[in-house]
Amino acid sequence: MNTFFRRVRDAEFLPMSEVRKIKTILVMAFLSVITAVTIPFSIFFNYSTGVKIIIMALFVIAYALMIVMIRLNRLMAATQISVLYSLGLTLFYTQGTSSFYAYLFFYITLTVIIFYQELYTYISFGTIATALGVAYIIINQAELIQPDALPGTMYIFILTLVLFYFIFLVQIMYNEKLYTDMNFDWVKMNQVIDKYQDDIFLYVDEIRKQAGNELVHEDIAFQRLVAELAVFVAEQTKESGKDIINLFDLYLYIHERGLAKILANEEISVAMKKTADHLHKYVLNQRSDMISMLYNFMSRFRPTEPYRSDRYEYRLHQIATRPDEVIIALALLYQYLANEVSGADEWDQMKRILSPDDIEKLFTGNEAEDFLTPREVAIFKENRELFVKHLCRKD
Amino acid sequence: MNKNKTYMFKEIEDYREELETKHLRTKNHFVLGLLAGMMVITIIYMFVTAFDLGDTIALMIGFLIVILINIAQLAYGKENYKFLQLNKYITTVYVYVLSIVIIFLFESPVAITVLFLAYAISAFYQDLKVMTISNVLLLFSALMILLNFPEYLTFPSANTENSFGVAFFFVAFITILTVSTFIIIKQKRFFYNQIALSKETEFRNIDLLIDIQKQATSTDIDLKKYYQNVRAFCEEFSGKIGAENAFSEKLDVLFALEKNTARNKLLAKYPKYSAADLYRLEDLLVGGKHRLRKLAIKMSHTYNIDIKRREMFSETHFKSFNHQYDNFEIKLLAFVVFYAALKRGIDGIVSLDGQAIRNILTSTDYFYYIDPRVMRIYDRNSEVFETIAADILGKGEAA
Repeated sequence: MNTFFRRVRDAEFLPMSEVRKIKTILVMAFLSVITAVTIPFSIFFNYSTGVKIIIMALFVIAYALMIVMIRLNRLMAATQISVLYSLGLTLFYTQGTSSFYAYLFFYITLTVIIFYQELYTYISFGTIATALGVAYIIINQAELIQPDALPGTMYIFILTLVLFYFIFLVQIMYNEKLYTDMNFDWVKMNQVIDKYQDDIFLYVDEIRKQAGNELVHEDIAFQRLVAELAVFVAEQTKESGKDIINLFDLYLYIHERGLAKILANEEISVAMKKTADHLHKYVLNQRSDMISMLYNFMSRFRPTEPYRSDRYEYRLHQIATRPDEVIIALALLYQYLANEVSGADEWDQMKRILSPDDIEKLFTGNEAEDFLTPREVAIFKENRELFVKHLCRKD
Repeated sequence: MNKNKTYMFKEIEDYREELETKHLRTKNHFVLGLLAGMMVITIIYMFVTAFDLGDTIALMIGFLIVILINIAQLAYGKENYKFLQLNKYITTVYVYVLSIVIIFLFESPVAITVLFLAYAISAFYQDLKVMTISNVLLLFSALMILLNFPEYLTFPSANTENSFGVAFFFVAFITILTVSTFIIIKQKRFFYNQIALSKETEFRNIDLLIDIQKQATSTDIDLKKYYQNVRAFCEEFSGKIGAENAFSEKLDVLFALEKNTARNKLLAKYPKYSAADLYRLEDLLVGGKHRLRKLAIKMSHTYNIDIKRREMFSETHFKSFNHQYDNFEIKLLAFVVFYAALKRGIDGIVSLDGQAIRNILTSTDYFYYIDPRVMRIYDRNSEVFETIAADILGKGEAA
């Protein structure tokens, strides 16, 4: 329980699937309390005992289904069932009583749907809940509104519910747009970082060859260290030390044979192929997630400049602010791109240099928007022959 | 184990705050729109239903004040973002004040639901402090009405069941709303964290790439050739536009900066330039790790990047040793390989000592990249890990 609450508190560090799971569990906990309270409340509802029992049984079945879906990691299905469950509870209350607290259920259901922050779920189920709420107010106005109440009280009831729905609709739409844009930037940045690390990996390998060192995974001391630590951890969890050694052997085998050959080998079982596929992202002989995490971790211990607000600013007009400096910066930038290695060539040698055509595509293509203003692009286009004549590689 | 986790890169906190501020402005615009909409609806209703004119005008002035405060703070916020921060607190308190005024004016159960709208508006800011203020005010308002003005909650269907039901489900509603807002705020912070983390990772990887390339190839940029070519380019460019070559002196200064010439010497030699000018010009250097070089490296690596729709929100981009689709043994082995590689070191990159590794793994966001069961064992036995590593790798044996 403590671990769960700690995870809720630290949800900002967890990936989306984890947070979705936490949300579903929290909603389930909430619904279980509401359902428990519903049993005594149902005494006052206008249903026959048989109907009450059937409905409560249906809630129990739906609840069990939610638990199964979470166990199977079908979080989207669990989410949808929980929303339907809330709507079912709302209908159970509103058809069973005309008291004011039944009206509150429309807000509760909307909040459950808001919780998931899924636009289409909100538009579909949220709209249904709001429409049911409006219908409930119109049908039960005599029970909700005092005879001497303010004129138009029914409309205020309707309006506040509809406004509540719309305020959160705007919020969810705004979040959806914001998160989609941010995610696009994030994915793009990660792809670029992968490319830097592809290059770093090849240079590191070059340094290793120059030093005459063996590959990390072929280092016997490293293999012994991994094996001993793995057995130690496995034994702490009552897992079999032998199983973990077998897994480590498979891990080393992936380095030796390559994943493609293992997957193509008909003698290897499907389960082992699946495990090999999962392990592949942690290999050490190519730029993998493991290598990326190692570089990122180690970069934490390298000296870096103090933070300034333009630390992550890569647009030329933010770097060169005066007209003459823009020309110089453009010339230096072009020259760098035309002369320095920009990645690996087709033989995995760090020798690829961009051609004038490649640079022209970079300066005038869609990617340029992130780095150059239209004015800077125009300067390049108008003087392209000068850039090529003076700044391209001459060999 | 440190219960309050920090970030592996402390720069993440700074940038995340910048992101918050950047988006706070847009949220303020939305809140301003909502307040204006609420004012129009409320005032029209009060006019149509022939409310006391004095009350109607007073409420309208109340709305206008909060709208004007918002406009003013948005304007001042351009100069100092703290005005935007202040605005969200002022607006939250003010919206509740307006809601309570509406409850007193309407004296009806229906007005109570205006509190929900106040909560919804303040939830727009997606801020933990605002959420706390909002909860306190909502609770205070509800208790005040229940205890001091129960007549506002008189329903035609008044009975014990209704009274208990209203109180219970009101509390239930506030609870789920609070939990929901809390998680939504945390989710927003997750996105901001990831963006900030990627920005910092990129920055440090470019630095690493520059250093490692130099180390692997034992070569660096031929600055002399670079500046000769740029001089020739600028000469012909000036001729083409029919102007005098105004670039020479600046190129001399830049070249001197590339050569690490002392600033005081440069200031004496080029009196037209101030210390601030030199500081600014340093960004244009292509040697070292200056910003123009970083721009060039980023630009060249952005070439041919293609993002597929299915990659959006895909967890394959979230690198960790705690993927849900991996079984426990894989998570365990991945962590152990990671630890062993850090202890052994990689050619060209230093190996790390156990305490440094432990500090990052247990006290920062890195903690969440590792399966909690594995992490618990490591945390309890980090000295055993150290001893095993020292026994096998030996002191000073790391690459």
